[in-house]
Order: sequence, then structure tokens, then C-alpha cells
Amino acid sequence: MVRVVVGIKWVPNTQAVRFDPKTGTLMREGVPSIINPPDLSAVEFALKIKERYGGEAIAITMAPPSAVKGLEHVLGMGVDRAVLISDRAFAGADTLATSYVLAEAIKKISRDVGKVDLAVFGQETIDSSTAHIPAQTASWLRWPYVYYVTDLEIKDDKVVVSRVLEDRVEKYELELPSVISVFMESIEARDVRLLHKLRAKIEKPIVVWSNKELKLDPRCIGLKGSPTMVSKITWTLEVPRKKIVYKPKDPEDAARWLISMLLKDEKTSKIFKWVVGG
Amino acid sequence: MSLNCSDLCPLWPCEDKKEYKGVWVVGEVSEKGLHEASLQMLTPALKVSKKLRSEVVGVLIGYNVKKYADEFIKHGASKVIVVDDKALSTYYPMLYGDVIVELAKRFKPELILIAATMRGREMAPYIANTLKTGITADCTDFDVDEKTGDVLQIRPPFGAMLLAHIKTPSRRPQVSTARPNVFPVPPRDDSRSGEIIEVKVNVRKPRMKLISVKKIKKEEVPIEKAEVIVSGGKGIGSKEGFKVLEELANLLGGVVAGSRKAVDAGWIPRERQVGQTGKSVKPILYIAVGISGAAQHMFGVREAGVIVAINKDENAPIFRQADYGIVSDYREVLPKLIEYINSLKKEPRLLKELIE
Repeated sequence: MVRVVVGIKWVPNTQAVRFDPKTGTLMREGVPSIINPPDLSAVEFALKIKERYGGEAIAITMAPPSAVKGLEHVLGMGVDRAVLISDRAFAGADTLATSYVLAEAIKKISRDVGKVDLAVFGQETIDSSTAHIPAQTASWLRWPYVYYVTDLEIKDDKVVVSRVLEDRVEKYELELPSVISVFMESIEARDVRLLHKLRAKIEKPIVVWSNKELKLDPRCIGLKGSPTMVSKITWTLEVPRKKIVYKPKDPEDAARWLISMLLKDEKTSKIFKWVVGG
Repeated sequence: MSLNCSDLCPLWPCEDKKEYKGVWVVGEVSEKGLHEASLQMLTPALKVSKKLRSEVVGVLIGYNVKKYADEFIKHGASKVIVVDDKALSTYYPMLYGDVIVELAKRFKPELILIAATMRGREMAPYIANTLKTGITADCTDFDVDEKTGDVLQIRPPFGAMLLAHIKTPSRRPQVSTARPNVFPVPPRDDSRSGEIIEVKVNVRKPRMKLISVKKIKKEEVPIEKAEVIVSGGKGIGSKEGFKVLEELANLLGGVVAGSRKAVDAGWIPRERQVGQTGKSVKPILYIAVGISGAAQHMFGVREAGVIVAINKDENAPIFRQADYGIVSDYREVLPKLIEYINSLKKEPRLLKELIE
């Protein structure tokens, strides 16, 4: 029996963000939120563990109430229950304050529901890509942790994981409880199943925890509990480019034009002459 | 700013930030030696330390690592703190992290810089969090707020071509990471000398164990070292579509890369991803095929010599960020381009005509 908590983030769908060519900015209005895609792999991992060893999978997210949609999705995938951690007091949190709340929620699950053996996260989010939360949560919990996990096995009170680095695959054994972060989208997430959806409709396994339930010191959460702050936003300096755009008559015309431009350009002429043996 | 400990989260140590001095660069060591990405962090370290009038300190932990201290010094560090201990012969994120935490508590640096290699990204947030301080990931530039002495950690956030300047006004040390190849390695100066400080730290028992390591085949040329890159995006449409890109790349002595969308679709491996969440590259020639030109992608090619864009959508933002753009379907243009380069190879005389 293994109790797995999986952390998910409700993020703006960066793929749906459109570019405004007139202003050179990205248009974010009306962009729908989605479950951070790497987190779906983490959910799949949690479900596989549950199916293999028995136990339960619990999803947690710290988000505005609209994230219920995301939690309904993972319940539809087969997650047993979900916790929505939602309170204005948590707003404006950086990764330290966010991970603090998540770690405290995991402790509360251990107290109220039963001992948590494993906390699983996605590698990073598509909106900020910091990859901070898994390590920070491990730091608060004082649990051993490892990133970039592609495979996992539970052996007694230990977990054996495979993980990838730039040039190697490593196998580690960690004491339980521990925190793991799943290598990007290394495992495909299953679809929602009607049976699970119906069960979720009937059992309503989503609980909402505000700070009334978690009882955290207001100095440790939200903006106050965040050591970092954005002091200002500036525009990046655009790299000067020639911006010559050509609409060729036909593919052959395109090829000729490009090669002649690259040969005339002092930056690229050298490599081109070499390539063509000139 | 006066200290008011009752305002602070009681879980955080309450200390005067003025006690913290020096800019640290944490070195990553593998069997190949000191990682180049760690030496690259000396560039922002030197910039910040100059403004703060403090010194750059390299930090090396592990077993048999003292021999690398000199690398740090020759490239610009004034001092190197070394923890050389058999108990540190294997890297574990928490074990190594706790040693850095111990050192930071003892020596109180104002800034800790860690290269955002895969290990660095794993360990840095743990270090910052255990010290109950802030961390900023993937910085692309650094500056100093002259009035407060706070380091401005600059990074492109999600969104447009914007840069967020992030501060850690009340906590020390400040912790930041930067991706490999965002900064150059400062020039080596063999005449430089510096102090090596050997430190003993109480190493905890790791609660994890390395069972095995299997090397995975290194690709011939990593994209960050390539002089010519032919890169594909969503517009390629399939894994098969990359074959013609591969052919062009081979012909030009280059390599194939891709945008995040191409990687997410599984058309190209993740280690070949260009962009803010992938790698920064600096080829002489970057040919972007079927790539729309999102800010996150373009960040990764800001140091490319010449950018060529091939896209059938004439409104694709990439055309305003490229040197030479061709509005065409790559399926038609690339085969012709390959054919044309091959014919030039056979008939160098055609080359002359082209230049004239």
C-alpha cells in the first residue's frame, strides 16, 4: 500500500498565447488555463504506482477556485481524491512560499488521511520553467529527493528510481517518504474515463483548504512569505537583424537567392565557400 | 533597513544582511573535471562583485576535487573554498546541498551562483530553500541596486520580450542560476593566484544510494557547439519531415535542432531543444524552418551570427527577427536548396557568378 500525493499547477496555456505583430507583444487575454502538461506525466506516474502496489493517489494544487476543472480532470483519470488549496492569503507567493504551503498540505494529509509515502511532481511548468518546487518541498519536509525520474519501483520501505542526466542514466535507491520529480513528458498520460468521472460526480472527492484549515503563520505565506520580488519589468533589447524577406517565384529561385545572400554576407560567406569547396 | 524580527516568518533566521559578503560560484565536478558551465558563472560573478566591491569565491565540494581550485582562480576567482571528503565521493542532491548550506551559514556570502545544468537545477532550489532565502532561476543578466546593494536578478518571464528584474530585498544570501552558455568563460590568466581555503564539514549520512550509472551515447556535435544549425518547429509537421533538415545540415557540416513544440511532439530529442527552456546556441548560421519565432525560442538564438527563416506564413513573427526570410513551404525549398548546393559543389564556377 502506497499513498502518493501528486502536485499539479493550473497554468495559462502558453501555446494558445498569440503574438500581436503591431505591438510586438503577446496577447494573453482570454487565454484558457490548463493543467501544466509535465504534471500530467506526474499524475500518470502516481496512478501507475497505485495500480501496481495498491493504495491511493491524491492530487493537490494551490490555485484560484477555477482550478477545480483541472482537479476534475485528474479525478477522471483515476486519482482518488483532490485538495484545492485556495485562499487570497496565499496569493503573490513565490516558489519558497508556494512550496511551504504544499509541504504543509502534505503534512496535513499525513495527519488526517494517513501517512504519505511519496510526493510526485512534474519537472517544471510551462509558464515559468523554474523547476524549483520539488526540491523546495523536499527541503521543507526534509525528505530525500531526486529529479528527472523516468522509472520507479517500490521495494519494502525504499523506492528505486531511474533518472536521466545530460549524458547518463542513474539508478538510485531512496528511503521513503521521498519526493520525486518526473522527467518532462517521459510518460504519456491516460485519458479521462467515464467511470472515474461518474464516481467523482457522486463521491465529490475534492476538498478545499483555505488557511483556516492549514493555520499557517500569515508572515510565512503569500507575498509576505516570499523573499523574492519583481522590482521592475523592462523590454529586452532586440538583436539587430537585417529582416530581408523574400517571396520567391519558385523553389529554385528561393535556393539561388538564399545562397547568394549567404555568400555575400561576410558572416556566413566563409562557411559557405568551404562547404561548396570554393 | 533596520532589523525587525517580529515581522519575519518565524521559520526564517533573522539576520542583518550587511553581515553577508562575497559572490560565490558553486562548481560542478564530474569525472571529466570542472564543468565549463560553472566557469561561465564567473562572468556574472565578476560583474556583480565589482559593483558590490566584494570578491569572487569558487566553491568546490566532493572527493579529490582540490585539484580543480586552480581553474577557478585562473579564470577570475580570488579564493576557493574546498570541501574534499571521501564521504562526498558520490553526488546526492540533498547531501551536497546540505554541505553548501553549511558553508553558506559559516561564511555568509551575499550571492550564490549555480550553473543551471541538470544537477544544478536539482540542487540550487534545495540550497536556497534550506537557507530560507529566495532563488531566481535561469537569469540572463545581473545588476546591482546601488542604493540597497541588492542584486538584480534579470530573467525573461513568461510573456512577451520582457525581462523581470527580481530582487531579494530582505534575505541573504541571494541565490541565482543561469543556463549553460548564456555567459562566456572569462579569459584565462595563468599569472593569477589566489587563496585556497580547505574546510571540514560534518557530512550527514545520505538517505539515498547510487546503485548504477549507465553512460548514454553522446551525440557527435552538441547543438551548443555547432557552427551551422538547421532547426525545425511545429511547421515541420512530422518526424519524417526532419529528414530533409538532417540532409541539409549534413551538407553544411551542421546539426539539426528544434523548437519546444518539435520536442514536445517527439520529433526531435530534448537535448536538441533551442530556446529559453532548452539551450542557448551561437552558430554562425541558424536556419529556422517552420518556426514561428516565439520570444522564448528567439532568446536561445540571440547570439547566432545570421538567422535564416523559412516559413510559409508570411505573418510569422520570425520574419521580423531574422536576417533572411523566405516565404515558402520548406517541403519545396529545402530539396531545391540541397540540390543547388550539390550542383555548386560540382561546378565551383557557378559560385563566382553568384557573388558577382
